[in-house]
Amino acid sequence: MEKGRSVHPDCINASNPYHECVEYCFQRIAESNSRAEEDETNDSSKEPEERIVHPDCINASNPYHECSDHCFKRIADLKAQIERNESVVSVEEERANQVEQNDDNVDSESGQPHLTEKQKKLFELRLKMNEARKANQMAMVAEKKKMEAPTETRGISKQKWLDERKKKIGKLLDSNGLDMSKAYMLDTQEKAEAKYKKWEKDPAPHGWDVFNQKTLYNAHKKRTQNIQCDMEAYNKAKEEDPEFYREASSLQYGKMTKTPEENIDRMVKELQDRDAKRKSFSRRRKFHEEKDIDSINDRNEHFNKKIERAFGKYTLEIKNNLERGTALPD
Amino acid sequence: MSPASHPLLTLGLLTRRDTEVKLPRSTRVKNKTAAPIQITAEQILREARQRQENHRPPKQKITDSDELADYRLRKRKEFEDVIRRARRNTGTWVKYASWEESQGDLARARSIWERLLDVDYRNPTLWLKYAEMEMRHRFINHARNVWDRAVALLPRVDQLWYKYIHMVEILGDVAAARQIFERWMDWKPDTQGWLSYIKFELRYDEVDRARAIYERLVVCHPRPSYFIKYAKFEAKRREIARARAVYERAIDLNLSEDDVEAEQLFVAFAGFEMWCKETERARCIYRYALDHVPKGRAKDLYHEYDAFEKQYGDTAAMEDAIIVRKRKLKSDDDEEEEEQVRRKPLNYDSLLEAAYIWKKQKLAADI
Repeated sequence: MEKGRSVHPDCINASNPYHECVEYCFQRIAESNSRAEEDETNDSSKEPEERIVHPDCINASNPYHECSDHCFKRIADLKAQIERNESVVSVEEERANQVEQNDDNVDSESGQPHLTEKQKKLFELRLKMNEARKANQMAMVAEKKKMEAPTETRGISKQKWLDERKKKIGKLLDSNGLDMSKAYMLDTQEKAEAKYKKWEKDPAPHGWDVFNQKTLYNAHKKRTQNIQCDMEAYNKAKEEDPEFYREASSLQYGKMTKTPEENIDRMVKELQDRDAKRKSFSRRRKFHEEKDIDSINDRNEHFNKKIERAFGKYTLEIKNNLERGTALPD
Repeated sequence: MSPASHPLLTLGLLTRRDTEVKLPRSTRVKNKTAAPIQITAEQILREARQRQENHRPPKQKITDSDELADYRLRKRKEFEDVIRRARRNTGTWVKYASWEESQGDLARARSIWERLLDVDYRNPTLWLKYAEMEMRHRFINHARNVWDRAVALLPRVDQLWYKYIHMVEILGDVAAARQIFERWMDWKPDTQGWLSYIKFELRYDEVDRARAIYERLVVCHPRPSYFIKYAKFEAKRREIARARAVYERAIDLNLSEDDVEAEQLFVAFAGFEMWCKETERARCIYRYALDHVPKGRAKDLYHEYDAFEKQYGDTAAMEDAIIVRKRKLKSDDDEEEEEQVRRKPLNYDSLLEAAYIWKKQKLAADI
């Protein structure tokens, strides 16, 4: 039954251990093979050289784009628009253009444009015009964008975005008759879930891991936020010093520079602030008077606290037994 | 004399007989039952602690320089004794140095720190404390020397670099800070170091230099997440062509399929193209990504692709996307079922499931 049965590996029932291929199977296999070949020719993941792209198409630079009827229609419309605007071309040439475009369409499908010399030249001219127009437009847009937000240093763009959002939310709230404090009512369920997810933080490191690389970096980031950059002094120093952008091996290292007193004051003050912050790192724990005393002096008490931390959960049973005076039957 | 009663052999000058306690007859215990009121051990301890007196030496006020010198001498002797007993115990050294600092004698404090660093120079906290002492007392050049030595001896400890650069920057010497950053980058540190350098340049609005540093970062650590950071930096400054170039470079990395970050890269790239309102390119990126990222890792990708098609695609493309996703995910399930059946042929439920799936496949092929 298992060995020696006639099964074509391409048959869809090949996995069935009791199936044997008959003529119907082979027919079906042949059909599916021919369909697969057809599909491959229409496959969109071809090599870039083999694909069909009209050079005028705006997505031509995309290596995976293939021009379809929609593209060609769009190109034709654009070209028609140019001709209307320029009004250089005569009517016959328009017609000739359309013919040429049809020719282009037909020829582009097969991938090889057959144009006469004149038509080729015309085509190239059109290409150049198009490109120039496109480049002009893009440059215009980019310049406009750059002009809108000239000094986009850190934080300002975010503020503007926040203000816009607040206004939008305000408008929505007013239309619903809500207050600003109930702004959360506008969130969809998905948005609310995303917000809850944000609140779930990783567990904060404790014990010996408190000063790991990540927390040290975050502490440094926080500290550098508070530096006030004196841009005037910076620019002045930039002009005066020829070696302002120093390499690592510059000989200026170790040269004594005159630091103004106020900078030193600033540094000392910052150090003192840090010291004060450091004091608040661990808080003093409350002293419970009602707790049992199991120590004979302060050092002993401290030791007992440490021991409790380490072994408390393991000795709980034993302690309870001692208190009770009996061990529970297990 | 027998060994037990020999005084010198056993208990010093007492004999065993001397140490035996003989209670007078009246104090012998008569009633050996438990008393009605018992005292607990805890109560005994509590009472003992309450009745304790603090045996401290009386507080003395120092009136003139002789007494001060006396006090200092005494304290120094104590500290030196403790240090001699436990040389490796950095805590006592640090206490000694801080005490000298509080007395105002910086020269002695420095000598203590140097001796300590002789014992153990690998402890970064010691360097930090030493440098901070110099900084607190406004000895900047001393501090600079200490930092320089620290950073030369322990170049892989990031904290020392951070604090050194922070000090130099706060003193206003930006060029020197830059030189120290360059020196640090020569050691090719972790990304956090690079990112802090970039932040430093951006604080002074040096965008070109920041860009150059991003380039170096991406060469030093060619991971997709850093490419994404670079591209986001360019996108924020509205340099769209550059951002696109960065993304394309990232894709050229030819990541192995197992890489977790490959998916994130594609998602970020497609998101960027959507932000530029280039839906065609975004669609192509999604297709390419779905072809190249293995199914197991592409959950986010499918999700984003669906959302994208819902927004921008027409219904045919949308349904296509959904079908592709369902088929790919379903084939996962199908394979699982087959595996189960192969493992346990007597598992009737999974057998029936597998049969049902086979029948469905056959019907689908027939259509």
